[in-house]
Parts: sequence; C-alpha cells; structure tokens
Amino acid sequence: MALGVYLSVPFCRTKCSYCNFASDVFSRATFAGYIDRICSDIERAPVVAEQMGGQYESSVDTVYLGGGTPTLLDSAQLERLFVTIRQNFCLQPETEITVECAPGTLTAPVLEVLRRCGVNRVSLGVQSFVDAEAAVVGRLHKRATVFDDLENLRSAGITNINIDLIAGLPYQTTECWERSLSDAIASAAPHISVYMLEADEDSRLGRELIAGGTKYHAHFVPDDDLTADFYLAGCERLNAVGISHYEISNFARHGFESRHNLKYWTRQPYLGFGVDAHSMLKVDRAGKNFSEDKRTETDETVSPWRGFEAVRFAMPDSLEGYIAVRPPKRTPLSRQAAIEEIFFLGLRLIRGVDLRQAATQFGVDSINEFAATISELKENGLLESDGSVIRLTTRGRLLSNEVFEKFITIAESVG
Amino acid sequence: MDRALIRNFAIIAHIDHGKSTLADRLLELTGSVSAREMQAQVLDAMDLERERGITIKAHAVRMMYQAKDGQIYQLNLIDTPGHVDFSYEVSRSLAACEGALLVVDASQGVEAQTLANSYLAINHGLEIIPVINKIDLQSADVARTKEMIESTVGLDTTDALLISAKTGQGVPDVLEAIIKRVPPPKGLPERHLQALLFDSWFDSYRGVVVLVRVFEGSMRAGQKIRLWSNGRVFELETLGVLTPKPVVINELVAGEVGFLFANIKSVADTKIGDTITDDEQPAIEPLPGFEEIRPMVFAGLYTVDAHEHTQLREALDKLRLNDSSFFFEPESSVALGFGFRCGFLGLLHMEIIQERLEREFNLDLIITAPGVRYKITKTDGELIEVDNPSKWPNQSEIAKVEEPVILATILTNEEYVGGILKLVEEKRGKQKSFEYVSSSRVMLQYELPLNEIVLDFYDRLKSVSRGYASLDYHLAGYWESPMSKLDILVAGEPVDALSIIVHRDFAYDRGRALASKMKELIPRQMFEVAIQAAIGAKIIARETVPAMRKNVLAKCYGGDITRKRKLLEKQKEGKKRMKRIGRVDIPQEAFLAVLKVGEGSS
Repeated sequence: MALGVYLSVPFCRTKCSYCNFASDVFSRATFAGYIDRICSDIERAPVVAEQMGGQYESSVDTVYLGGGTPTLLDSAQLERLFVTIRQNFCLQPETEITVECAPGTLTAPVLEVLRRCGVNRVSLGVQSFVDAEAAVVGRLHKRATVFDDLENLRSAGITNINIDLIAGLPYQTTECWERSLSDAIASAAPHISVYMLEADEDSRLGRELIAGGTKYHAHFVPDDDLTADFYLAGCERLNAVGISHYEISNFARHGFESRHNLKYWTRQPYLGFGVDAHSMLKVDRAGKNFSEDKRTETDETVSPWRGFEAVRFAMPDSLEGYIAVRPPKRTPLSRQAAIEEIFFLGLRLIRGVDLRQAATQFGVDSINEFAATISELKENGLLESDGSVIRLTTRGRLLSNEVFEKFITIAESVG
Repeated sequence: MDRALIRNFAIIAHIDHGKSTLADRLLELTGSVSAREMQAQVLDAMDLERERGITIKAHAVRMMYQAKDGQIYQLNLIDTPGHVDFSYEVSRSLAACEGALLVVDASQGVEAQTLANSYLAINHGLEIIPVINKIDLQSADVARTKEMIESTVGLDTTDALLISAKTGQGVPDVLEAIIKRVPPPKGLPERHLQALLFDSWFDSYRGVVVLVRVFEGSMRAGQKIRLWSNGRVFELETLGVLTPKPVVINELVAGEVGFLFANIKSVADTKIGDTITDDEQPAIEPLPGFEEIRPMVFAGLYTVDAHEHTQLREALDKLRLNDSSFFFEPESSVALGFGFRCGFLGLLHMEIIQERLEREFNLDLIITAPGVRYKITKTDGELIEVDNPSKWPNQSEIAKVEEPVILATILTNEEYVGGILKLVEEKRGKQKSFEYVSSSRVMLQYELPLNEIVLDFYDRLKSVSRGYASLDYHLAGYWESPMSKLDILVAGEPVDALSIIVHRDFAYDRGRALASKMKELIPRQMFEVAIQAAIGAKIIARETVPAMRKNVLAKCYGGDITRKRKLLEKQKEGKKRMKRIGRVDIPQEAFLAVLKVGEGSS
C-alpha cells in the first residue's frame, strides 16, 4: 500500500492565538539547519521504520507539506525538500501533493517553485474573510489578499484549493460567519474545512478560555451553542452548493476530497518528517501471525512486535529536541487499539464505518463486542445505521467526542 | 509536701491575649525550663495547636518556686483549652484548681470566651487574680481594661497585676500573688482516694496518659484504681509530674496534680471529669460535675477515593484512641458511597478532626453539610432523635420537631453592633440582653438555634465585625420549630448527600441558592438535566442545565491520532472520577461547594 508523507515546517511569521500546534516564530537562520535535519531524516526513513517495528514502503501517493507556514521557506529550501522526497520515495502517478499556505506568502518565486515541484493542491489558512476577525487572532492577511492569492494560484495552474475557516473566533457573529461562508463559496475552491475553535491547554487563547480570562479577546469568543449553530449553518450551506460534507470538519466537491487526510481517518500508513510529525505504519504481518496463530512457548525468534497491529510514532515536539535528534516517541497499537481506532477515526467520515468490513478484518466477535455500545448510542440519537454501516447523526457529529469515548477502553499504556 | 505550700491554678485568657507567653515566663522564672530548650510556647504541644495558636489539650506543669518568704512552693499550672467547643474540658480543668489568673490584653479588653471561662471559674469558687497584659503596647489602655473587667466579670481590679509577658515586666509579682492570694488545697492524704480525671490522651508507647488532681487520699504505683463512671479497674503502673519534662514520682497526695499510666488501652475508658478511687477502699461518692460528653455537631465523612474507605475507618479508630469526644458510625450514601456519620463537640472540633485525618493519615475527604441533633415527636407518640437528614421521617409522620438552642455571648465594639444584630436576627436569634460594658464595648446575649450556627456563623460574624467580635456559647435547651428536610433532586433523583434540615422560613431561599449553585457545578450532559429543590413532594425551586451541544475535536494536525486518543481517555477518566446519580455525572466539587452555600450568600 502506497504511503502518505507528511513534512512539518514549524515556522511562522507570528503565532496565532488559537494555534495549538508546535509551530512558532524562529529566525530565518534556523531554517537551513532544519532543512538539513529533515532531509537526513527522509534519507533514514527505512531505518527508522524498521527500528519502530513498522512496515516500510517506498511507494508514495500523497505528500503534504504542513505547518506552521511552509511558504516562509525560500525557494531553494522548498525545492530541496521536494527533491529529497522524490529521490528517496517512489512517487506514484497522480500523487496528491499539498502545501499549506498562509494568505499573503504566495510570492511569485514561491508560486514558481510550487509549480516546478509538482504541487497540485494548496490549502489556504484563511480562517475568516472578515478582516477584523482575522486580525484579532493574529492572522496577517486581509480578505482581498485571499482573492489575489486565489487568482495567482489558478494562473499557476493550481486549482485544487482548500480554504480553512474557523467557527467561533472572537467577535464572530452570525452575520460575520455567513459572510465568510459566502466568500468561501464564491471563491470557487473545491474543498473547504470548517473547524470549530478548540478550547484546550495547548493554545494561548484556549488556556485563557479555560481560565475564564480576558486576554486574546477570550471573553468575546461565542459560546458553545452559538459556535455549534455556526457549524450547522456551514454544513447546510456548503452541502446545498454541492460542496459535500465528507468528514466532521471537511467539505469537498466530488473527487476533491483530500486523499492525504483520508489516510488518517481510514488508517492507511503514513510517514511524518520534522518537528512533531506523526507516523503510522502497519506492523509486519509475520510478527502478527506469530503471536496470534503460530506462537509456541519455545519460539525465541518471533518478532518483538508480535501481537501489535500497527505502530504510531511521533518526532520530538520542540525544534530543539528535533535538531538534537531525540528519539521518536513510539506507541504500538494492539489489535484492540486498532479496532477502537476503526471506530473513533472511521466515524469521523460521513460515509461511516462498515461493520461487516471491519468484521472481515478483525473478526466478528471483536466487532460484536461493541454491539451494546452501538445500540445505546443509536437509542440516544447519536448514531444511525444503514445496512451494515453505522454513522454519526448530525447531533452525534457535534457530540462526537462523547460518542468516541464509548469506543475507547482505558488500559495501562503499552511500550 | 505540706499542703500549705501547694498552689493549683489555671490561666484564663482569650486567644492571643498572652496565655502561652505568660506560661513560658513562669516556667523560665521558676527554672522549670532552661532558655536553651525552650521553644516558644511550650504548653501547646501538637503541631496543629501551634499552627492555630490555640490549646486543644490541657496540660499540667509542676513548678517549684522559692517565694520571697523563703519557702519553696509547689505550683501546678493547669492549662485549659481556649475554645468554646471544649468548654466542658475547661470546666473540668478549672475544677482541678483553687485559683486562676485572668489574663486580659490591655489593648483589646475582655472577650467572650474569657468572660465565659471567668464565670465558670467563679462558679467553681476559684480565687481569680486579674492580670492585665501587654502594658508595653502603645495602644494599651489599662483604665478601660480594668473598667471592663469590673463591669463584665464583676471583679475588683484594685489589685490587678500590670504586666508584659513579652518583656517579663511584672511577671515575678504574678508568682507572689499566686502564693498570697490563691488558697492552698484542702483534703487529707489519709482519706479514701478521690481524684479528678481532667484530661487524658493516647501515647503510642505507654497507652493512655491520664492527668489527675488528687482531692482526697493518695495514689502510689501498684495501687488498684477504679474509674467511677464505668467501674473499670486498672493497676497503677507509673505516677509522674510534668516539669514540663515528665518526671516519675512515687506518690501523689491530696492537693497535688500529676499524670499516671495504668496500662489503659483506650481513651474512651478515661472520661474527662470522672472520679478515680481506690478499688479496695473506694470513696463513698464521686466528685461532683461529671457529665458524659455529647456531640453537638454532626456530619458525614467520606473519602474522595472510594477505595480509601478502609483507611478512613482505621484512621478514625486510631484518632478515637486519642480523642474520645468525637463519635462515628458507618453510614452509606447513594451519592458518596460508604462513609461515616460523625459527631463533634463543635465546628472547630470538626475542622480539627478533618485536618488531622487529612494530615496524619493522608486522606482526601468529603465532609457533608454539618447539622445538629433534633428531637422529633412522631404522630404515633414515639420520640426519636435525628442527626442525619437521610433518617428524617416523612413530614406526615412528624408531630413536633425540637431543635437545640444555644445561649450566645458576643462581645464587640459598638460600631459593629448594627451588623451583628442584623446577623443574629437573620439567624432566628432572640435577644436576652444588650449591655454596654464600657463606653464603647457592647455585650450581647442571644438565644440562637444551633443549626444556624454550624454552617457559616463564625465566618459571617468575623466579616461583619472585621474580626472585632468574640463569641462564646453553651447549650441552653430546645425550641419547637417548623423544621423540614430540603432535598436536591438531579434529573428526578434525590441526591442524599445534599439534603439538609432547614427552617420553613428559609426553605425557599436555601432551595433556590442550592439549585442555582448545583447548576453552576454540574457540567452539561448529553441531555437536559433538571435540578430541583423539594420539601417532601413539593418542588420549591428549579433550574435546568441545558443539554450539551458540542464536544468535537476538529483539527488533526499531521495525523496526530495519539493526541486525540489521549484527549478521549482524559475525558473518559474525568467522568470516572465523577459520581453518577441516575444518568447524571456530578463532579466531587459539587458536593464540596454546596457546603459553602450559606444563607448569607443567597
């Protein structure tokens, strides 16, 4: 199975208040060292995959350059990343190559290098088309910038474009939200993501919201109910114009779904390079078979990863740690953990989870263990079923964490 | 020792008026403690006492003093607890003395506890020597202090001693005054033994340590002694005195004070105020004044972690070895699981027990709203006592409820009287007296239902008087009152741990306050949750926690599924820590915070 490749560029011009990612503002001097480090990681990928106990694959069919703000890198640096990827992996025809861009960073040289490197998809971090709203959380662009960028991208031949929007920004009103939605639709981008603002400890605004304070305009953040209304309004309007809901936060015209992001939800393997980059690889089938079927008491040669279905590993989440080549953090997934992922990741998709298919993969008994949970969730109006497929209801999508929680068992951490 | 050379005395003082400092000076002057080994305030032994600046355990210290008349006297200083919760212990300590020093801070004047304890001393026929302390302070007002002592305690202050315990000024005169003015003890060594047990505590090496004052007869090691109240007999193992270091002696005779070990395992056997006599030649009658200690304040104690229930039981058992004045029995609550119903002497006592359990036994505790013990006459004529809301009968079965009432004495400066009157009226108080004890100092006496005192009265009094009011009270009988059980229902299910007994006039306000507090504390659930306050079947207040609309993790940075899973696990674990009542998850904090909903904040 072809891999997805993710490259993390944790550099930004400013740190937005809602950002809960490991990106930050660093001097340009650090960029070069970082590119060296990430390129050497790409070269070492087969070794690392083996160390982690994952199944390596050289063919790749999606590449995603995310951030941070990858387009802060200069042309040579961007080009070197893509060249290194192409030298070390076997890119399939029609590989989806996405770059995340902050509006206003798409200079002519950047556009030129994107085109030359075969980038065929761009994700624009718009967040809001209302200038005041965007400014309050630290975005540096205006509405007009976005439309200029769109025009430039299309001139450069890149038409597969995503626009990110955030529902629940400080000062956002129903009317503002409708304006952002209208502009997003009018932009004719075939893919739109709608994220609801998250109040968590990993962003400055989130911490302030939890603390009930007034920094970062936290006290002007719409309440949960209003944000939920924004989200529902977004789903309705986008679906109505043929930009169909396919994942909790994602909408696309038919055929424009993000193939890279789908790998995350459908548990297809991927490798991540760079600060706080995440990978998931399947565990060698031999190991699994040894443990499940052919294991004997005296067999000393079985794979140390026997019994695990897949392995996740994460690169250090600080630039310092990454440059210092600290080892990745490894989380092996038991079959039980994998089954749980089938549910809490797969249910994010509007198409839902096919229980029959899951049973084929993991055994009928393993899936049947969730029967009571599933019927309780159906009774509560959070899940619905259609043949052998279960999916979240509209209400269930807004309460998806409550649903997912039910599919999780809390065990002692493994590995 | 010649009885004529013995003096037994106590020190009566308000907190911070200098009792411990004066005791330290007396110990120094008599050479009982060398300056080097002296920690500040040696009488307060337990950490907790030192921290709170109050003496919980009474102690008795023997000092030998060569007076100006050339004679060597035996002075026994009997320390008394300084808080209203322990007034019975105070009365027993005073009963062991012939005299008392009444220490009053010259800058503060007479406070309520000082007054109450002075009355106790007068009732016991003690000679009281007024001592005006802190005369070195700029704000000292000796004349006004004297005036207050005269008008409140009713003592002649012509010969009051003026001292500064801090600097030592005037302290030698205190020793001389004790010799001259406190009468020597009466009683004869050859009579049948009558000794007053005025304190006891558990020592993990020696078992129970008992402090005694011998009134008649004598005690010696090997003697068989009998405790009057329960008839139990023990062999007297060791006799001693505290100097304050323990020193073993052969004999304690009439008039003397000391400690004993007799291989006693439980302090529950050694009741304060009991009489100790000789088993073979017992006295004809006990000493007067013994009472069984009865708890006044009741609350449920639960561990936050249900698995710690056994540890809590062990801790309570151990603590009771040390403090027989609190009571506990198992109870269970739907909301909180298995716990104990505990009875305490008062609120401070309750706090001390809770703190000791948490500190010495490392337990996290939930304590339910404190309440009192009601006398209920049922319609069928049966008389029952109820201290636990969950045992409250149906309203239809109740003919009459009587609630305990206290007589409270409050001393304050006149500028705070307005606020205090408002407070005591709000707490259903009935005025007994209102008196100016000096030009600016007022003494109020009110009858108040104990139920109104236990929740937040101290804190409220402190805040309306900015700390310039002192309170003392004692049980003064019962009132018949329309008391009802107020229940809190969450999604239709009563939450037993939140039930309280409340006066009918306050039911609506309390119900509303509790319901709205619960609304703040219960997180939104998957469905709408009704919170109701009810008396019997009657709903008197209602709040609604709307259903949760949104709980979504939107973004997935670069495929970080591990983080997503961790968040879901954290969410799930958070719910496990909550108490589930019916279908509703209630956080532990809700049970704690409800205690803080006093009438004042409603």
